[in-house]
Amino acid sequence: MSSVNEHAGASVATREPTLDLHEIQATVLRQRPAPYFGSHVLLRVDDAEAGRAFLRRLIPHVDSAAGWWSATDPWIAVGISYAGLRALGLSEDSLQSFPEAFREGMAARARQLGDVGVNDPKNWDQAYGKGEVHIGLSAFSDSEENRRRILAIARQQLVGFSGISVLAMQDFGAQPGDRNSLGYKDGIDQPAIEGSGVEPLPGQGQPIKAGEFILGYPGEAGFSLPMPQPEILGRNGTFVGFRKYQSRVGAFNRFLQAHGNTEAERELLAAKLVGRWRSGAPLVLAPDGDNPALGADPERNNDFNYSNDPRGRQAPFGCHIRRMNPRDTKLTRLTDVNLHRLIRRGTTYGPPYDPNALSDADDEVPRGAYFLFISAKAMATIEFLQQEWINDGNFVGARDERDPIIGLQEEGATFTIPKDPVRRLVRGIDTFNVLRGGEYFFMPSMSGLNWLANGFQ
Amino acid sequence: MATQTQTGTTPQPELTGAQKIQQLRELFADASEVGKRALENVLKELSGQVSEPPPPIESAGRVGARLGKRSELTMIVPLVPGGAKRLRTFLQLLGGNLSPGASKVGTLHDMRFVFLDNDTRMLFATSFDGDWDTYIDDFIALIPDYLDLMDSAWEGWPGIRNPGAKDYLVKHQITAEGWFVANPDLTLAEIQRLERIGKATDEFLDKVQ
Repeated sequence: MSSVNEHAGASVATREPTLDLHEIQATVLRQRPAPYFGSHVLLRVDDAEAGRAFLRRLIPHVDSAAGWWSATDPWIAVGISYAGLRALGLSEDSLQSFPEAFREGMAARARQLGDVGVNDPKNWDQAYGKGEVHIGLSAFSDSEENRRRILAIARQQLVGFSGISVLAMQDFGAQPGDRNSLGYKDGIDQPAIEGSGVEPLPGQGQPIKAGEFILGYPGEAGFSLPMPQPEILGRNGTFVGFRKYQSRVGAFNRFLQAHGNTEAERELLAAKLVGRWRSGAPLVLAPDGDNPALGADPERNNDFNYSNDPRGRQAPFGCHIRRMNPRDTKLTRLTDVNLHRLIRRGTTYGPPYDPNALSDADDEVPRGAYFLFISAKAMATIEFLQQEWINDGNFVGARDERDPIIGLQEEGATFTIPKDPVRRLVRGIDTFNVLRGGEYFFMPSMSGLNWLANGFQ
Repeated sequence: MATQTQTGTTPQPELTGAQKIQQLRELFADASEVGKRALENVLKELSGQVSEPPPPIESAGRVGARLGKRSELTMIVPLVPGGAKRLRTFLQLLGGNLSPGASKVGTLHDMRFVFLDNDTRMLFATSFDGDWDTYIDDFIALIPDYLDLMDSAWEGWPGIRNPGAKDYLVKHQITAEGWFVANPDLTLAEIQRLERIGKATDEFLDKVQ
């Protein structure tokens, strides 16, 4: 299991943790291993007692964040939707103590999320958006063999239950070189969390107050968010926005072909869209060409800000990483960047990126990513990001332009690359990642899970 | 003090233009002669627009109206004794011009504070870019003292760090029934960009002469 040890996100604890790590689910703090192998399983609870009994059998395999920096075994994360909490028999008072957007569910919040057009819930995969997804399990491991082992464990817990149905099951796993479906190394920039027990990586900045990510702790504004009740259920829990994206690799490659005459031009355009070369090397540190060694080095590949790139000549204002974490970019609005960060666990599925895939049919090859976006106010943060930082450009002076990677592009959309003497306006940008499903989950603490599983006592 | 949360009767959406005009004439039957005559003159002028009205104002999120990218916020709040005097003195510190602090926000187009009813109530009206509570959390984190300084004059204000602060604002906000914005699609950032382009164009034209 040495590879899990080496790549779970940090090498050793260097500070005394102040969070209740033994209560918080491991996935909140632990990054996916490299390489990673795993599965997402979506379940429906048809009988409350069967659902609770299933949770009781599953809990011993759900890892806590105690020692999160060094995993010794594969681990499972459990999230429960609002419909799931209801199906498990949670009391009305308790149900009503959850935030409104969580109670309504991701599909019902499509307007606030800008999930319209091709991203509209009516176009989602069968399982999603109907209030039927009750429990989401995500199993993470460092090898195909371990993935099979942990899945077998999860499946054993389902044996003999008539009251639980499997709605969907999706394997995910590392691509060669840890790349995502559009060929980029991903998952690099994660927020550092105060009290989690490790030094931030260079470039992560000051750790963010734990209350932004875990319920029961003060957040950046100095106070704790209201928690779902009773406290045993809410404290040390958090919320997860689960979103499934289909990568339209044909459309993406056609876009690169249309706007780059040579391989070098296409790779530069691909880097400008994201703000990093495909290797992960940031444009701000490697403006003239890719530097794979830099991209691969976690001590260096995130160690930058935009102080030397105030006009976006290196990393365009509208590029993906500058939107998702503007760092010290001067924003047009009074904004505290730390309030809008998410922990994200990206999990790539399907065949690896194919640079020669150019057809419409290639857009429909099932490949893309499932994301777990984790925050104590995940619903509000995802709505904010979708409205302000993904499907608008005003905040960073990019007018109506949208995130070139995960934005929903409208007819005639453009992408501006600031450049001397004049900017380059790239036309014909398309929606390269289409939303195919999504759910909000509550990820309870270990005590919260036990309380639910044992009939609310 | 009770605050109005809804104004007037909203016309039935299924009414046709002609029915709306009919309804209006009925309501004006009791109006003064001046009013009746004015109504007929205005209806003559608006006849085309009633049958094909412009896009209606939308919701700005939790509360308030929105036109294009611009949202309005109108509140009437009861003041604590002495609150008006404190607030007025603070506003006069800057000669009544709030731009030094307010321009930091970057989305505020305008803002006004008006004292009503012998300083027992205050009208606060503003217009801004985007949805109602998108950036409230940022204000709470970044300028809590400005907000608390102003709002401590308000009766029952729980404090900006209190989770009930947003609910207080919603409770006292009155959504506008009618509204006009000359350039509803120009955000403040866009207006400032156009100003810069205008200046740069003039400089360029000066140089090429």
